[in-house]
Amino acid sequence: MSIILEHVSYTYQPQTPYEVPALTDISLEIREGEFIGIIGHTGSGKSTLIQHFNGLLKPNSGTVEVDGLQTTAEPGTLKRIRQKVGLVFQYPEHQLFDETVYQDIAFGPVNLGLDGDQTRERVRRAMEMVRLDFAQYKDLSPFVLSGGEKRRAAIAGVLAMDPRYLILDEPTAGLDPRGRDEIMEQIRDLHRQGMAVVFVTHSMDDVARTAQRLIVVSQGKIVYNDVTGQVFAHHAELERIGLDVPHVMKLMLDLRAKGLKVRADILTVEEARREIARVLRGGDA
Amino acid sequence: MLKDITIGQYYPGDSMIHRLDPRSKIIGMLLYMVGLFLVQSLTGYAFVTAYTLILLSLSRIPVKLFIKGVKPLWFILLFTMGMHFFMTRGGAVLWEWRFLQITETGVQQGLLMAARLIFLISVTSLLTLTTTPIVLTDGLEYLMKAVFIPLAHELAMMMTIALRFIPTLIEETDKIMKAQMARGAEFDSGNLIRKAKSLIPLLVPLFLSAFRRADELAMAMEARCYRGGQNRTRLRALRMGGMDVAALILSAAFLAVCVYYG
Repeated sequence: MSIILEHVSYTYQPQTPYEVPALTDISLEIREGEFIGIIGHTGSGKSTLIQHFNGLLKPNSGTVEVDGLQTTAEPGTLKRIRQKVGLVFQYPEHQLFDETVYQDIAFGPVNLGLDGDQTRERVRRAMEMVRLDFAQYKDLSPFVLSGGEKRRAAIAGVLAMDPRYLILDEPTAGLDPRGRDEIMEQIRDLHRQGMAVVFVTHSMDDVARTAQRLIVVSQGKIVYNDVTGQVFAHHAELERIGLDVPHVMKLMLDLRAKGLKVRADILTVEEARREIARVLRGGDA
Repeated sequence: MLKDITIGQYYPGDSMIHRLDPRSKIIGMLLYMVGLFLVQSLTGYAFVTAYTLILLSLSRIPVKLFIKGVKPLWFILLFTMGMHFFMTRGGAVLWEWRFLQITETGVQQGLLMAARLIFLISVTSLLTLTTTPIVLTDGLEYLMKAVFIPLAHELAMMMTIALRFIPTLIEETDKIMKAQMARGAEFDSGNLIRKAKSLIPLLVPLFLSAFRRADELAMAMEARCYRGGQNRTRLRALRMGGMDVAALILSAAFLAVCVYYG
């Protein structure tokens, strides 16, 4: 079971003077239980790409298949696809609309046609997943929450669909460092519980710490699609297309440039500490 | 889907019409409209048709775009045509059923009225297609001041801002729609009441963001000491050239011919 894109191309406003090719010949697979980061600079086509995963955009050519269902099929299938693939947009708190947090989160399950008890259970579980206390928050207006709480409530609104794949577009944008850490921790948690997670980000440190696989998009094409460490080994090329490497890796590269023979394919502070210690103890054989 | 809306859309180009001063284009359009509604005779219509086609072709804008502009108004067109078919009496009777009657004059009037509406829409879209919104409102502000309409600058500024935010709001609508569709919302199914209800998850966030944007914009304008129109100069001052004089003379001549043929 997986999301499979085959030779997907997409153009905005085709056949007008405003025509913009957004994706060209993209093929990739997202398997169940994976943890994938998507990076690429602004306008590279990341957001267009993820909207193909649940059929919000349909390819001009090529196919998108979710667990064997085509996104170009009839509307009934699309609803099933959107249940399987939860998509959290950038600044999801801007989509909150209902009178209470409960009703807002229940929007998805109600659209799926679940009855009252099932809906309540879904809402309760979704709120638990984003650590919003059910009893305390369910009757509040979503508009009185703090920025971070709003975002968590909005993410809960997608989680209440009980998706197998969770796609997030810059989930930490515009949050303070603490809110950022909280959201990332909760996303890691969701992955531990078995959900496939794909997230778009500009933070190389976030992907380095969490993603198992990394997809790099530039000018509507996939440049790299590999294990995170392998992708960052191409640091020179990444820099050329306007991307960066994680801070830890940058430090290791700088140390190498200064003559300390450390390995540079290091993504976490802990690994870096061990490696530097090893080299300083003279372990560099 | 919403990105296909073309109201007030500018079509980049460098034709003779594109290069005209917005003021001469607006005056030209007003004179055209007066002429269009004065004309009654067939000869007059032939002249107006020729003039319109020349104007449209001078802009070098694909015909497709004009058709796209007329399309949403098909119902009004049909309705006007139908009204004239059945209501105007005169000449030979072509078709009759009980009290309903279609006459030769009726058909002629209906077709001419429809043509008039199509011309009207095409030429107004010609104005917006060949003029960027900013330049257009600049021209309007100048003309409003010339005829002593109070608050001309404020009105023009409001229009500029409104036009500026149409694409932004469309984009925003598109985004919120998609976000709700990702949660299983459907905007195009069910009866009228269900459809209206399904708009709430779209409209509430949209209004919120519109107010937020308005607030931010007001703040940003104040921060740059915006105080209305007093003593403001322009970065790009409008200038009339030889072509504009020619365009104005041509427009006046057009009106004169229309009056003459009646």
